[in-house]
Amino acid sequence: MDLTYNEKRLLAALYKERHGEWREPEELAGELGTNGEAVVQYSHLLSGRGLAEVRQETRHTYALTPEGEEYREKGLPERQLLSSFEGSVPMAELNRHPLARIGIGWLRRKGWVTIRDGLVTKTGTSPESPDEAALREVEAGGQGVSDLIKRGLATDTEELGFQVRLTTAGVGECRAGLELRQEVGTLTSEQIASGGWKNLALRRYNVGTLPKVAYPGKIHPYQRLIDEMRQVLIELGFTEMYGGVVQSVFWNFDALFQPQDHPAREMQDTFYLEPRVGLPEGYNRVKTMHETGGETHSTGWGGTWKEEKAEQCVLRTHTTCLSIQHLARNRQPPVKAFCIGRVYRREAIDPTHLPEFEQLEGIVLDTGVTFRNLLGFLRVFYNKMGFSEVRFRPGYFPYTEPSVEPEVYVDGLGWVELGGAGVFREEVTAPWGITTPVLAWGLGVSRVASLRMGLKDLRMLYESDIDWIRKVPANRAGPSAPGEAR
Amino acid sequence: MPIVSLPYKYLERLVGRSHEDVIERLPMIGSDIERVLPDHCDIEFFPSRPDLYSVEGVARAMRGILGIEEGLPEYPVTPSGIGFSVDPGLAEIRPFLGSAVIRGVKFDEESIVTLMGLQESLHWVLGRGRAKVAIGVHDLTHIRPPFRYLAAPRDRSFVPLDFDTGMTLDRILADHPKGRAYAKIVERFDRMPLIEDSLGQVLSFPPIINGELTRVTERTTDLLLDVTGTDRRAVDLTVAIICSAMAEGGARIESVDIDGTPVPTLTPSERVVSVSACEKLLGIPLNADSMAGLLRKMRFGAIPGGDGTVMVQVPCFRADIMHDWDIFEDVAIAYGYRNFEAEIPATFTVGQEHPASRIGRLARETAVGLQYLEVMPFSLTNERTMYGMMQREAAPGVLHLLHPISEDHTIVRTDLVPLLIGTLALNRHREFPQRIFACGDVVLDLSTYQKVGAVSTHPGADFSEIYAFADAFCREMGVTYRAVPSDDPAFIEGRRADLVVGGRRAGVFGEVHPAVLNAFGLEQPVAAFECDLTVVPGYPRDPATP
Repeated sequence: MDLTYNEKRLLAALYKERHGEWREPEELAGELGTNGEAVVQYSHLLSGRGLAEVRQETRHTYALTPEGEEYREKGLPERQLLSSFEGSVPMAELNRHPLARIGIGWLRRKGWVTIRDGLVTKTGTSPESPDEAALREVEAGGQGVSDLIKRGLATDTEELGFQVRLTTAGVGECRAGLELRQEVGTLTSEQIASGGWKNLALRRYNVGTLPKVAYPGKIHPYQRLIDEMRQVLIELGFTEMYGGVVQSVFWNFDALFQPQDHPAREMQDTFYLEPRVGLPEGYNRVKTMHETGGETHSTGWGGTWKEEKAEQCVLRTHTTCLSIQHLARNRQPPVKAFCIGRVYRREAIDPTHLPEFEQLEGIVLDTGVTFRNLLGFLRVFYNKMGFSEVRFRPGYFPYTEPSVEPEVYVDGLGWVELGGAGVFREEVTAPWGITTPVLAWGLGVSRVASLRMGLKDLRMLYESDIDWIRKVPANRAGPSAPGEAR
Repeated sequence: MPIVSLPYKYLERLVGRSHEDVIERLPMIGSDIERVLPDHCDIEFFPSRPDLYSVEGVARAMRGILGIEEGLPEYPVTPSGIGFSVDPGLAEIRPFLGSAVIRGVKFDEESIVTLMGLQESLHWVLGRGRAKVAIGVHDLTHIRPPFRYLAAPRDRSFVPLDFDTGMTLDRILADHPKGRAYAKIVERFDRMPLIEDSLGQVLSFPPIINGELTRVTERTTDLLLDVTGTDRRAVDLTVAIICSAMAEGGARIESVDIDGTPVPTLTPSERVVSVSACEKLLGIPLNADSMAGLLRKMRFGAIPGGDGTVMVQVPCFRADIMHDWDIFEDVAIAYGYRNFEAEIPATFTVGQEHPASRIGRLARETAVGLQYLEVMPFSLTNERTMYGMMQREAAPGVLHLLHPISEDHTIVRTDLVPLLIGTLALNRHREFPQRIFACGDVVLDLSTYQKVGAVSTHPGADFSEIYAFADAFCREMGVTYRAVPSDDPAFIEGRRADLVVGGRRAGVFGEVHPAVLNAFGLEQPVAAFECDLTVVPGYPRDPATP
């Protein structure tokens, strides 16, 4: 059995003499060279191992108050009053005695005198009362002491006392022999260097006692999820894009073939900014595409495309504006790129709507890629994010054709729509000389976060209670976290 | 996106199948089921398919998908003999008119509601809130053709719908609920669009309100439709969607003669598309016959050609067919998205993280190693938090939102420390010490770049602590810096330093000024650090500007 040095010493002390009897901690403390409290603590440890039993009882200590001490010398007030006269005495005269106020009542209550017509007369019997006996021997307790306590002449101090004795198992342990060796709390460098450690017993810790709670510095759980998504895409061979949150309307909307009167472009939905910027080289091909469809077999939107609308600036409403700029610069296949960045929508804040949130965006430009390949990328991506069941429904996005809305199965929620995807319309890619299809998909990262972390209020991600960040385990958002999403 | 109510009895009569069968297939043609109730369901359809904004339109599509009736729906149009003229004075105001006569309509309360629902959805999606297209439907009984669409003076008067006295156009714009709602479309013109009959009775004041005279009731059987707008294509499409839906419901369509041209024709447009181009886009095996079959399920007319093409007739009510790929998407939908075998292409590529992300990742790693906890505050903020409470002057290059949605969010952040101090203020009751950092985008002079900020608060938070952080951070990031006394008023004088890198002030650190702490309602000392990550070796040089 793994006993500490102190436990062994207590066992030995209990075994040495009278090992069947209850022993007092104070007495044992003397033998062990420690205090009673420590003995009680060791006793409880031994009791936990079944080697000793501990019993506890409430002990009373009685003592006389200073007034009680005085009466022990001189007798109780009623005794002193009784001795101050013979036979009988007028009440008025007895009242002059200094103890009259306390004593007269007791004289009568104890039946030592009768009082009639102003005359106090002894009854003739005045045996020693229990309180008088107790006055002499207050430590013994009993009825008399209780009376004294009531009269304020004695006090009662209560204390919890322990007693300890060996159990049969404890006796057996001692008979088997105890190896007593001094223990220390710390291993010193001197002991390590000198070899002193060889004869050293280091004090054992109780593994059952919980440690002090410590919180590490850590990555925000939401950033961890973002990093995990970045990791998945980099593993799939995608190059990361990064770009400005301020974009021209040209790149944010026009280059994506959003008609200039599209409702999403209005200032109710988009944050517009004061500055204006020039249009990039080749913008006129986008203009032609909007007006007539250019050299493609598209009809275009008709009407007149206005430069001054495209020159305005907005906070990007999606990261697709980065994708199209990346494609305009890199049109030789294969191109596989992605981006996770903050996007902005003019929405009032509530638990499920925020004016800014993260969006993930992926594009694939390659010879011979098809809509079927897009579904392939989507399936692999969602599988790697921990959603093993994925299905596809037709969708609508202004800049893709065909379009698809992927859905994933989440326990407890059923099929959940998660993002959107499609093949970039030829009207989007043709102005930049791109001749191969471009597969594209995007999704709201905070939506994944709320599914994976069970968040009811998205504001928690941005206006964080640091206690929440401290307590959310790092592995919570891990791809194989069991039982969270499948 | 518009939500369309589908009453089961009417839907089942039109489709010829149970509503359960229909509801099961609806998501697979592109829609979201909002609600399924005992007598009807509410379905959200995409903005690209306004032809589905009526029960009749949904039934037409579902008959194709369920194989009950395939191919191009045809709607015969006979001349009504009614004439309509358009005043050239409308050219700059609202030039385009579409019209039709619809006879033999059997209205009950429900079908009037359905027609109004279609009208509302079209006003919203095709009409852009009536600016581009507005629709009027009139009982034909009380009016006498020919009709005139004219530019009328603003003091012209008539009795608008839901009123019993005449009002001038100006008063309608000022006092009528619809007038106030849509005034901004026409109020800038001297003359206003108006439709009257040969007796000078007013039918409508487009795009605002109809006259009470032509109110449609359950007794109405014959309708005059007017559609006005600023875009020819959208006007014609709206007429086609309404007429074809009414025809699906059993009505007869008659044309109106607008300045010599009979409208509507409700005839399809034609496109010859390539089978191999469709195969190439979708990645599924097709031939002209199978492709034509799939398109007929989607209610196109489709005739396989001999040379690997299909001649497609696009119904007049389809708004979304601009390009061959729009037709190919319908092939995919009819084929069934669930029947595609998803597959990743074999091309090999090497993944790569962006250098700016790499720097951000290293900054996070370093801050975490120094026992800091990451937070991710909003990037939209306000001048009071960013500058006023910090005792700082607003940065000259700060970006203001033109139409902020709340007082809290009026600018894009230029610094992170004010937001970190704000986060501490939200966490006053949490255990100390608190050490938090953020790493993220800021915008200055239209340019987006990353900063890192860190704050520490506890009774002993001081300059030495944050100097040690700054020193360790710069060392790990490979930044050689010089610390020089700073004059940043957000910090205590004599306990603040600028981080100078290559002669440029790249950051600041020190003990936050007690007045700043008071402004944020904090009671413990705060030491703070902020650094621009563009000074870190390896940070990309391309500016992230529009």
